[in-house]
Amino acid sequence: MQTQEAIVQGLAAEPKLNYLTNGWTIKSWLLTKDHKRIAIMYLISVSVFFFMGGLYAGAIRLELLTPASDLLESGTYNKVFTQHGILMIFFFLIPSIPAILGNFLLPLMIGAKDLALPRINLLSLYIYWAGGALVLFALMQGGIDTGWTFYAPYSTTFSNTYVMLVGLGIFINGFSSILTGLNFIVTIHTMRAPGMTWFRLPLFVWAHYATSLVMILGTPVIAITILLLALERVGKIGIFDPSIGGDPILFQHLFWFYSHPAVYIMILPGMGVISELISNFSRKKIFGYEFIAFSSIAIAVFGFLVWGHHMFISGQSMYAGLVFSFLTMVVAVPSAIKVFNWTATLYKGSITFDTPMLYALGFLGLFLIGGLTGLFLGAMGLTVHLTDTYFIVAHFHYVMVGGQVIAYLGGIHYWWPKMTGKMYSEFWGKISAMLIFVGFNLTFFPQFILGYLGMPRRYASYPEELQVLNIFSTAGASVLGVGLLMPVVYLGHSLIFGKAAGDNPWMLPGLEWRTASPPPTENFEKMPVVTWEAYEFGEENGLDLEGARKRDAEAIPTT
Amino acid sequence: MQNTSWIPLFPEQASTFAWQVDLLYAYLIVVSVAFTIPIVAAVFFFALKYRATEKYATPDEIHGSMVLEVVWSIIPFVISMTIFLGGAVIYYQQFTPPADSMDIYVVGKQWMWKVQHETGQREINELHVPVGRNIKLTMTTEDVLHDFDIPAFRTKADVVPGRYTYMWFNATKPGKYHLFCAEYCGLNHSGMGGWVYVMEQRDFDNWLSGNVSGQTPVEAGKDLFENKLGCASCHSGGPTQRGAKLEGIFNNDVKLVGGDVVKADDNYIRNSILNPASQIVEGYQPIMPTFKGQVTEEQLNSLVSYIKSLTPNATTGTAMAPAANAMAAPAANANNVPAANKPAAKSLANSSK
Amino acid sequence: MSTHSDTHEHHHAPGLQHQFEDMKQQEESVSIGMWMFLVQEIMFFGGLFTVYLVFRSKYPMAFAAGSNHLDAFLGGLNTLVLIVSSLTMALTVYYAQKGNRNMQVILIVLTMIFGATFLGVKAIEYADKYNHGLVPVTGLNKKIKEEKKGEHGVGHETGHEKPCYDVDHNAPVVEHPNPKGEFLWTDCSLAKLGLDTNTLTTDEKNGYFSNEQIDADKFRDKVRIFFWIYFVMTGLHALHMIIGLGLMAWLGWKAFRNTYSAEYYMPVEMSGLYWHFVDIVWIFLFPLLYLLGRHFLH
Repeated sequence: MQTQEAIVQGLAAEPKLNYLTNGWTIKSWLLTKDHKRIAIMYLISVSVFFFMGGLYAGAIRLELLTPASDLLESGTYNKVFTQHGILMIFFFLIPSIPAILGNFLLPLMIGAKDLALPRINLLSLYIYWAGGALVLFALMQGGIDTGWTFYAPYSTTFSNTYVMLVGLGIFINGFSSILTGLNFIVTIHTMRAPGMTWFRLPLFVWAHYATSLVMILGTPVIAITILLLALERVGKIGIFDPSIGGDPILFQHLFWFYSHPAVYIMILPGMGVISELISNFSRKKIFGYEFIAFSSIAIAVFGFLVWGHHMFISGQSMYAGLVFSFLTMVVAVPSAIKVFNWTATLYKGSITFDTPMLYALGFLGLFLIGGLTGLFLGAMGLTVHLTDTYFIVAHFHYVMVGGQVIAYLGGIHYWWPKMTGKMYSEFWGKISAMLIFVGFNLTFFPQFILGYLGMPRRYASYPEELQVLNIFSTAGASVLGVGLLMPVVYLGHSLIFGKAAGDNPWMLPGLEWRTASPPPTENFEKMPVVTWEAYEFGEENGLDLEGARKRDAEAIPTT
Repeated sequence: MQNTSWIPLFPEQASTFAWQVDLLYAYLIVVSVAFTIPIVAAVFFFALKYRATEKYATPDEIHGSMVLEVVWSIIPFVISMTIFLGGAVIYYQQFTPPADSMDIYVVGKQWMWKVQHETGQREINELHVPVGRNIKLTMTTEDVLHDFDIPAFRTKADVVPGRYTYMWFNATKPGKYHLFCAEYCGLNHSGMGGWVYVMEQRDFDNWLSGNVSGQTPVEAGKDLFENKLGCASCHSGGPTQRGAKLEGIFNNDVKLVGGDVVKADDNYIRNSILNPASQIVEGYQPIMPTFKGQVTEEQLNSLVSYIKSLTPNATTGTAMAPAANAMAAPAANANNVPAANKPAAKSLANSSK
Repeated sequence: MSTHSDTHEHHHAPGLQHQFEDMKQQEESVSIGMWMFLVQEIMFFGGLFTVYLVFRSKYPMAFAAGSNHLDAFLGGLNTLVLIVSSLTMALTVYYAQKGNRNMQVILIVLTMIFGATFLGVKAIEYADKYNHGLVPVTGLNKKIKEEKKGEHGVGHETGHEKPCYDVDHNAPVVEHPNPKGEFLWTDCSLAKLGLDTNTLTTDEKNGYFSNEQIDADKFRDKVRIFFWIYFVMTGLHALHMIIGLGLMAWLGWKAFRNTYSAEYYMPVEMSGLYWHFVDIVWIFLFPLLYLLGRHFLH
């Protein structure tokens, strides 16, 4: 309570205090209820997991440079790809955009002082840490080799690695995601500033609303499934192990009931970021706002009905397969609508090619490939040949890395000035965006061909005739790795040496740009009142464009 | 796969529905290109044509167009329905075995495929089938999930413990094709596979009646050990192997569970193959399946010869040695590996590193 | 609740947190938050109910056999106790809105007594399963030393020799030797009944029989699945009850301190929602676990 008073006094004495300078003690961070500080703590922890997962990815690519399993022995390789998947999916892809960017920006975008339930928000960070710590502990004890899908009965009965510890870690971590989703839904419902109607919300907020629905409806199911799996290992009861009466296919149903919608937890927020970037950097109202908004909801809803397309060859009935394949085709349509609308937004815009926009344009291309190859896998006759091969691996990396990670990086670059108040080097930003794009395609495009040739996934050794394509892939991975490391350097550099970014460096209309950079603890000096529609770039909406032009004209000669 | 091009792009078509799958694949590639090129072209065109000429400009607002939205919802939907139908038709064929199929039974086991023909022949990690016949596989597994995958036939199916799953194909071209396990099954997942041999009916009949080519017993034993019976998947000598190391054991003492010490002579080896549980080497689990009934006496002799050849300078024969041992070649050296055995030999060498 | 000093100019409503503008906004937020939490709880238990349904439809006889062993009287009693506790909870909310401190405290204490009664009865039932060797995890059952051979005929150790459907329901209860604390189930009469009346599903025929003979081990595994689901479901439900009791204790203390009034009673209403939800889960658990399939016995 003393710190609270100190904050109050501090605010009174120094009104320019922002959320970063408001309290310097460790306690003021660890016990904060400020959504922005929580987002920063997420940013740091998620990045740690991302680079750990990246190291595993590097090990996988190096091993696959040669057909034989010579660098890693196959047992080690199995652990490496499993841990790559678990860290990346549960500890990077799912939390990254919602917990970092969503946490930071949702209240700013709707004009609220904080999320509706700040203590729950802090709790979800601690849950994330607890789950992560448990998994890291398990990895240090010797790791896990079941694949991130934990298919029974290998995971329940045959694997003698740390399945239970990792399972509990993921179980715990699930509640972090549930609480974040719950918080977002409440916040979007009740915390909007006066005048901020549902159809004035930025599309980023709509995307997070859809994501939160999936988080709340899906995550509890995987939680109970993983709990049953972990308990089954203790009790040796046949819920999933067929040798004592269980049903391994039931596990797959329960697992994919969550894990397919989880794909949308990963990509929907990314789509939200891209909507922001495309519209803002072409300074043009987004084309078909309602269609993009409702396609997010449609994806979230239909996403729950297609889990069976992961099981076309698992021995489910042919009719179930037909229904799931049909619905999979249906769910492709809203994604297509988004891509068309984004493209149409560019038409007659005023487009600038700042780093975030490069990421957005890259996303369009990569997501297009990722989405279209999804159709290959939704067509049952074809997927029989393609499933469990590198085609699948390439497809979901195009959606997850080419989609989610690119969008995440675009978002980080876009809002970095807002989060830190500093501008990074535009030059290095562009270089790294292009390296990532090239490296990514070189890594994963050859894998489509490998997949069609029949190379199964999760193989430590493979037939010799497939080596050339694997060499391409590994070469691409090294480019991608360099591209991904560069932002750490120049973003870190900007923290200390970067130019001050100003409150609204690109003169954009979103509410988050109408407060200081970095924002004060309670976000706005006074409660904003929204009188404009989303994505309106004119001066009549309170943007001082003339002043900004003058500012630039003065600034350029001196630099 | 006898693909000789530098970068292979398409796998061989070797079954009756392979061309259909390839056709659907080609159709999807066409659709993908037809979507990608206009969109990417539009993005490039717009990005260049409408690049900012003035800072902080406010271009005219365009709210959207109902007509366009409807058009670009319906067109993808219609196209996706054609894909759905194409996929469904092929899937129906892939998983509807014709009534006149020849049955073959497959059992997956960490990490080998055990195949049994209706006529009683058994093989491991190999599948011999005649060309132009409908073959139906009835499959199950002893332990975890596996997946019987023959890319050249464009089909695969999961193998699930506790139930039977089915797949069928009709091979169109004689040759040798990859057989993979495509569902992750643990430690040696990538080693669980082998070859499918598609033969002319006459050759197949010959094969069924047991005619084998003129190999020396050591060569034949090596072939059995590494390919046909899959012994190598457990006994290749690496540190994590589940089976006992066999190099250098012949005529030396072996310590068994329970403390007995026996000499590893011909009878010991033979008995270990037929009654594995009767003499467990210290430090190993009693998990080896019996091969009684799966190996003929000739094959048994070849195996014993091969295992003996793993011990350099072994003195041949004991009083009770089977007669066939007299023909056993002296210690084989690593260079006379037959060409066909190379992949397996390599994995043997690698895992022992 | 909030220790936040208000830095802005709004009036000091009791319990208004810093991020909200007024009580209405806070109440709406908390209420939507609670409902969302309950939605995720439904999905959480929904996963378990799915598992239950799958195995119930696969092995109905084994589930009926396990179900018959549960004490429907105790289960019914618990149902009654919980329904009454829901009433007292609802009344607590009513009196909190009225600002009646004494009635609030009395009703919360009553609710807690009912909740504790429920847990007590549950403990009695669990103890019964422990004593009968029906906890599905090896080692967690009552360990009884092996007695001299031949004293009892139907022990677990000898179950293999004697067909397990020859169980005399009127025989006095004997303690089976169970030195390792294994799961004991000796009664296969329902599998026999199903065979005789030809009502077994294909799954059951594969699941209970080896070579056309009832296989006691295989049937036992299926009954074990029932008890496993029983323990996981009721155990998670009991965990929710314990959390509910903690919530009630906190609420009672707050009510005792006269925190709630007509203006501010959100925590009471929200705890009430939680309590009712936990009750409703039991309303589903009771018939599914205790009642379905009882008619097979007689």
